[in-house]
Amino acid sequence: MIEIKNVSKSYVKGKKSVDGLDLEIKNGEIFGFLGPNGAGKTTTIRMITGILEPDDGDILVDGHSIRKEPLEAKKNFGFVPDSPDMFLKLKGIEYLNFLAEVYKVPLNERKERIESLTKKFEIYDELNNNIESYSHGMRQKIVICGALISNPKNWILDEPMTGLDPKASFDLKEMMRNHVKQGNTVFFSTHILDVAEKLCDRVGIINKGKLVFVGTFDEMKEKFKEETSLEELFLEITEE
Amino acid sequence: MTFLLTKIFLKSSIQKMNEQYGVSSNKVKKLKIMLYAFLALYIIGIIYIFSYNIIDGLREINQETTFIGLILLIVLGFTAVQTIFSSINILYFTKDTDSLLPLPIKPYQIIWARTNVLILVEYFIDIIIGLIPLIIYGIMLNCGTMYYVSAVLAVLLLPILPIILISLIVMVVMSFSKITKNKNRFQLIATLLVLALVIAFSFGITQLDSTEMTDEQMIQMITQANSMVNMIKGYFPTLEFGINAVTSTSVITTVIEFAKLIGITVIAFAIYILLAQKLYFKGLIGNLYGGSKKKSFNSEIKSKRTTLGRVYVAKEFKTLLRNPVYLVQCILPAIIFPVLCIGIVVFGFNGDEAQDLAELSAMLQENKLLLLFGIIAINQFFSMIIYVSATAISRDGENAVFMKYIPVSLYKQYVYKTMPNIIMNIISILIVLGLARYAVEISVLDLVIAFGVSTIMAVFQSFLLLLIDLKRPKLKWSSEYAVVKQNFNLIFPMIFSFVNIGIIVILGLAMEEYPAYIPVAILAVAFMLATVILCGYLKKNQYKLASKIM
Repeated sequence: MIEIKNVSKSYVKGKKSVDGLDLEIKNGEIFGFLGPNGAGKTTTIRMITGILEPDDGDILVDGHSIRKEPLEAKKNFGFVPDSPDMFLKLKGIEYLNFLAEVYKVPLNERKERIESLTKKFEIYDELNNNIESYSHGMRQKIVICGALISNPKNWILDEPMTGLDPKASFDLKEMMRNHVKQGNTVFFSTHILDVAEKLCDRVGIINKGKLVFVGTFDEMKEKFKEETSLEELFLEITEE
Repeated sequence: MTFLLTKIFLKSSIQKMNEQYGVSSNKVKKLKIMLYAFLALYIIGIIYIFSYNIIDGLREINQETTFIGLILLIVLGFTAVQTIFSSINILYFTKDTDSLLPLPIKPYQIIWARTNVLILVEYFIDIIIGLIPLIIYGIMLNCGTMYYVSAVLAVLLLPILPIILISLIVMVVMSFSKITKNKNRFQLIATLLVLALVIAFSFGITQLDSTEMTDEQMIQMITQANSMVNMIKGYFPTLEFGINAVTSTSVITTVIEFAKLIGITVIAFAIYILLAQKLYFKGLIGNLYGGSKKKSFNSEIKSKRTTLGRVYVAKEFKTLLRNPVYLVQCILPAIIFPVLCIGIVVFGFNGDEAQDLAELSAMLQENKLLLLFGIIAINQFFSMIIYVSATAISRDGENAVFMKYIPVSLYKQYVYKTMPNIIMNIISILIVLGLARYAVEISVLDLVIAFGVSTIMAVFQSFLLLLIDLKRPKLKWSSEYAVVKQNFNLIFPMIFSFVNIGIIVILGLAMEEYPAYIPVAILAVAFMLATVILCGYLKKNQYKLASKIM
């Protein structure tokens, strides 16, 4: 479970990039975080993961404050950043072994976990090559494998579908559904409204740093009393 | 268009330097200006002392014009060596190339603009090592306006030919990258090959020098350098035109010599652009899109328990060793420079010099403090070229945020990131001690003591440099080259080394009368304490210190 409690962040004095954000992502749900460019999505994700420190408020991951118990909080999530261009000089297998060591994955589970994840994403045969030689989609896949290697309860994914081929995208969505079925949490940001509509149990829409809507797709239609697509509703909400 | 492209390439690198330092308050700005002014005065001061003594000595034997030849030769040599590294990086390893190729820009315009950047980057160092000494010469010899104009023109025109020649060689070598199966290995081998050529050349020059050198005064040595200038002139006609133009007192001769110099440079540049159009894009496309040889995976999944520290440090080393830019700028200097500098002195000595070495060895036997502090100071000197810690955070670029979201304390990661610098320092120290053992008589106990104290100082300096990189990381860059070249932080290894050498000298002078081991022990304890305090600071402020990483 991820609890965001009255969190604010400013990069420039007097201009809040995230303003008093309150949000709770419950166990067993896929939560889609939507918003136009520059709305505060990445800033929020960076605060949840400990990259940025909030000016006000706090964030709890499975009850552990990212400010007061950062290491405990970080043990409880796997994070996929927006850019997969990481550790390019390492071989795929070196990157995964390194992350397995960082997250202290037991030796007996490690081999099986790496094999099943990389075979699912069809990059197993590429593991001996430098990540530098991977295509954008393959880099995205190896980063996802790295984030999931410790089998974390909470998945935090920043634009995870970017660059994935249709099969990998389908597999990831399947994995998300299976993960929440076991009582875990998936929090992800996306620009692809179709994916959000079909995959998410709830969505949150952020605009100019403020949360302008949170709820199910049906609740959104109810609130705006319109029988229309998510795309049109999204545009209407964020244009206000 | 060429001018515009040049401006954009230059601007993007300057902007990146500004971003590293952010917006500062007026007070900080004033402090920075004072620091720059101090540094500029310091450098000018050193060049002044160096130039004054040589010019004065040469004037006594009516050979003062030799100085001009020598300085122009240094400009040429420095440009050549610098260009080897900068051309590979600026021409091939810059990330914006990818987005440039689809634009409707003519090939020659890209090459021209990139070459302009190469030339302008070289001018910065050429002005310092070339123009300042020539101005000092002009002042000392009361030269007229024509001399100054000629000096400026010579310093600006002479570097162009070596730059385009070396760029062409680099392009020829890189054009093979398209046909190589393993791109990474090729880049590494190409870089090492060019480096080996430079080292072989420098050893060749020293050998040439040492056979001609006698044990007489410096002035005679400089006069002999004139023969070297004459030798190089044979291969590099523009040097002769440059020297003639600057030294001549006749306006007509100066104009004629410059006309020759400009003529050759313009023709060479035109040929260069023509050839480069055929060579550059061949190598560039091979470099950008040439795939590595794919190796199929047969399970290498770790099944042995290891420690996080070991894995983390191994990851740092892999990044350093597999990246040609980092390998050449961060790892190799720690090995090459001590071998090159001390090796030339130790093995290059013959006859009179060997006798001197024996005398020095005997003298050091009687003055143990000088022996120990001398070795420790030499180790400090070589530590200034080890950039591993000073770039530990910057090397990761925008991915440095990784440190902040993994469940490993930041302090632990700081320690792991400092380790490669300490290890490279230890390698450098061992090389120095090995050569010292060969050159002078030194007991095993003293070797151990020198190793211990040098290592303690290296540990302190490594952490201090990491702190600098944490405070001012350079995370936005388009090429790894920017991390090791367009990075003002890299002046700090030099500053710290000089400060530490100063401390060694002052302590040595102040405690000359005491038994040698007492000042050595004081030095060791002082640096140990400083390290403990510094690590305490890093641990206490670990999260605050990472605030620039986002």
